[in-house]
Amino acid sequence: MDNKGLSLTGGPFLLVLVLVSSLLLCKNVASMPPCPSGAVNCEVALGDLFDHAVILSHYIHNLSSEMFSEFNKQYAQDRWFFTRAINGCHTSSIPTPEDKEQAQNMHHEDLLNLVLRVLSSWNEPLYHLVTEVRAIQEAPGIQEAPGTQETFAMQEAFSTQETLSTQEALRTQETPNGILSRAIEIEDRNKQLLEGMEKIINRVQHGVRRIEAPSPWLGLPFLQEADKDTRLFALYELIHCLRRDSHKIDNYLKLLKCRIIYDSNC
Amino acid sequence: MTGNAPSTCVWILLLFLHIRLLNGQSPPGKPQISKCRSTEKETFSCWWNPGPDGGLPTNYTLTYNKEGNPFTYECPDYNTSGPNSCYFDKKHTSIWTMYIITVNATNQMGSNASDPYYVDVTYIVEPDPPINLILEVKYPEDQKPYLWIKWFPPTQVDVKSGWLTLQYEIRLKPEKANEWEVHFAGQKTQFKILSLYPGKKYLVQVRCKPDHGFWSEWGPEGSIQIPDDSTSTDTTVWIFVAVLSVVVCLIMVWAVAMKGYSMLTCVFPPVPGPKIKGLDIHLLERGKSEELLSSLGCQDFPSDCEDLLVELLEVVDSENQQPVQVHLKKHPDQGLKPTPLDPDSDSGQGSCDSPSLLSNNHEGSQESPSTFHTPGGIEEPENPEGNGAHTWDSQSTSVEGRVPYFCADGPKSSTWPSPQPRNQHNPRSSYHNIADVCKLDPGTAGSSATVLDKTDKCSLTSLETTEPGGEEKAAQQRWVESFHSKTDPDTPWLLPQEDTSVISAKPLDYVEIHKVSKDGALSLFPKQEENGNQTEKAGGLKTRMEYSKVARVMESSILVLVQDPPAPDLALFEEPAEEAPPSLPHNQEEKDLAAFAMTPSNCRLAGLDYLDPACLKHSFQ
Repeated sequence: MDNKGLSLTGGPFLLVLVLVSSLLLCKNVASMPPCPSGAVNCEVALGDLFDHAVILSHYIHNLSSEMFSEFNKQYAQDRWFFTRAINGCHTSSIPTPEDKEQAQNMHHEDLLNLVLRVLSSWNEPLYHLVTEVRAIQEAPGIQEAPGTQETFAMQEAFSTQETLSTQEALRTQETPNGILSRAIEIEDRNKQLLEGMEKIINRVQHGVRRIEAPSPWLGLPFLQEADKDTRLFALYELIHCLRRDSHKIDNYLKLLKCRIIYDSNC
Repeated sequence: MTGNAPSTCVWILLLFLHIRLLNGQSPPGKPQISKCRSTEKETFSCWWNPGPDGGLPTNYTLTYNKEGNPFTYECPDYNTSGPNSCYFDKKHTSIWTMYIITVNATNQMGSNASDPYYVDVTYIVEPDPPINLILEVKYPEDQKPYLWIKWFPPTQVDVKSGWLTLQYEIRLKPEKANEWEVHFAGQKTQFKILSLYPGKKYLVQVRCKPDHGFWSEWGPEGSIQIPDDSTSTDTTVWIFVAVLSVVVCLIMVWAVAMKGYSMLTCVFPPVPGPKIKGLDIHLLERGKSEELLSSLGCQDFPSDCEDLLVELLEVVDSENQQPVQVHLKKHPDQGLKPTPLDPDSDSGQGSCDSPSLLSNNHEGSQESPSTFHTPGGIEEPENPEGNGAHTWDSQSTSVEGRVPYFCADGPKSSTWPSPQPRNQHNPRSSYHNIADVCKLDPGTAGSSATVLDKTDKCSLTSLETTEPGGEEKAAQQRWVESFHSKTDPDTPWLLPQEDTSVISAKPLDYVEIHKVSKDGALSLFPKQEENGNQTEKAGGLKTRMEYSKVARVMESSILVLVQDPPAPDLALFEEPAEEAPPSLPHNQEEKDLAAFAMTPSNCRLAGLDYLDPACLKHSFQ
């Protein structure tokens, strides 16, 4: 009897399983654009994709730098957060090239996947970043540090020049002001960049794709700490890591673009 | 003694320190890292400021830690970047990694460490300026020349692989200008400058910036001389244009000088002033009426005089002060030019009222001057029959005893009947005529102005002379030409008699000027009213008399006519009588005439000077 019951229930279950898996597989296959290697049309389209991706990554990094500067001005002047931000970012577990030689020695497909992995690792943190920044700005009691005390030159890296570059890259957009608006913008653009990267990878790898798990972010509890100082520091670290990773992504994509599209002759 | 030992030690120690301090030796001061820079994002250098060395040779060491690495490392190169520097080569440089750098100053007295310096190479990139600046002025076809600037990225920056993306900026200025002209060139390594001042020397500089770094310093100055813009073709064209314009101006000036006035009148035609055709102001000023009138074209009398009007001439009876109305007809051919009489005011309108006395001055105006502006205006009633024929009474009889004072008002020399309406002609000429008419002595031609005076003389004298009636008649038949004709040719002469007592036995014959022929002959109608009409009806017996012979011209404006056959005037008078319609009995005629002679007084209308033909008619009846 149990067997019968099992067989009765198991039949439809198996059928559903097969259907779902086939759908997933089909989706994978369907998302693969038909682009045989050597076709001129494909290469031209790829160049456009890379151009768009580079523009997005450049813009995201500019926004991140500006947001970091703003945050430092408002909340972290006297707190010396930079001395404590040695713990590293949540994406440190992902092995990324640390200099030019390492980056050039890495295969472009690997590098593409790496970029994709880092990007996807930031989906969740960016969401929480927006939430937290909004909460902090609305919450009373957090005093904004007056003046602009410059302590380290590196923290002044985001100059107006970066802002200009951002504006050049995205002429149709108005540069958002404030931490919250920038955070929201970064979150949007990151999603777009992810989509672009997906297209590029599909174009380059012709459907053969390794799906690697993104690095998890474990800083949420710190963002939701009751202690104001802890929350701020957690936020500081998040913004700091965002700035760095966005620079990495931008750099890698530019390398890839010059290598793939211009054959290392930019 | 034991108490002195510690104090002694202290004193010695203090002395020792004092000696040391007096020498100026101390531990080094705290160094300070001033900056760290990377030129290509592959290596970087750090510089520090050493503090006071304390008078002793001080040794500086740089140590650093990397993020996530517990080990401490020392600076690999103290020399490449100069004194008080540390150069990190590619092996020792990690991107996206935090460096914590510390400088230690050590001397004999001690050591001192700087504050840690946190640096990430990612954010300290500042490249060298671009190199190999090339300046060139290019002259493309059909375009203006431009300055072409070319440069190369700094040597160590790896742009080709895309590790760094550089953006460039150019600035240039004329050599002696104060302000630089800045242009952003993007990622290109060449640029065109179009707006240039020709003939000047320009200075050009270029700098670069990585995509997320700092601007470099301005590169070495390049200079170039811009050649002068004026080409030969341009100059030639302008010279040609200038010469052409000068020539055109000269031509215009010459044309204006030559025909200035005519051109002026062509452009600005003169507005014609009011002008009467034929009237010459100067002649008017000089008082030459003949020339004036001739210039007006008064000679062109219409040939057919039937359309001419008969003017009423007012003849004033000296005794009765009654004007005698005489119709005058215009004589076209004689070209009488009445002397311009003074248009003075008339004394009385009754006596001097003879607006029909036209002057040639007004010939041009087609008015109706023949209408006598008498107190009655009685032309129409004068001939209700239309063609009433009036015998023209011999003026001699009429004027006999009467001085035809045309203007009995007084010795006004100019008392011509003038105050007529403007549209009426100057009647003076007619008066003139009449005045002369009365003169049986044609020799007494007087000026028109003084006609009045002469009338005094002439009338009596002339009348008293027993000249033949024909002559008188002829004299009486003088009239003044140059009348404007009223379109009533049938207006007869009328010479009403006021005083029959003065009238001689001879009856007055009214003669109607039938027409004026071309050669100047006047055809007269003895005016016998119904008799005349009946005569016509009876058989068309022509009672026409033709006076075609001019006796003389008086006063240059009056013609004295005589009948063609120089028959005695008496016969003239009798002719009408003789030629009375045979139907009528002779005695009837005589009777009529007599009646006529008698009736005028009765028929004289009160207040009117015209003899009512109806009255006459009645008398005849």
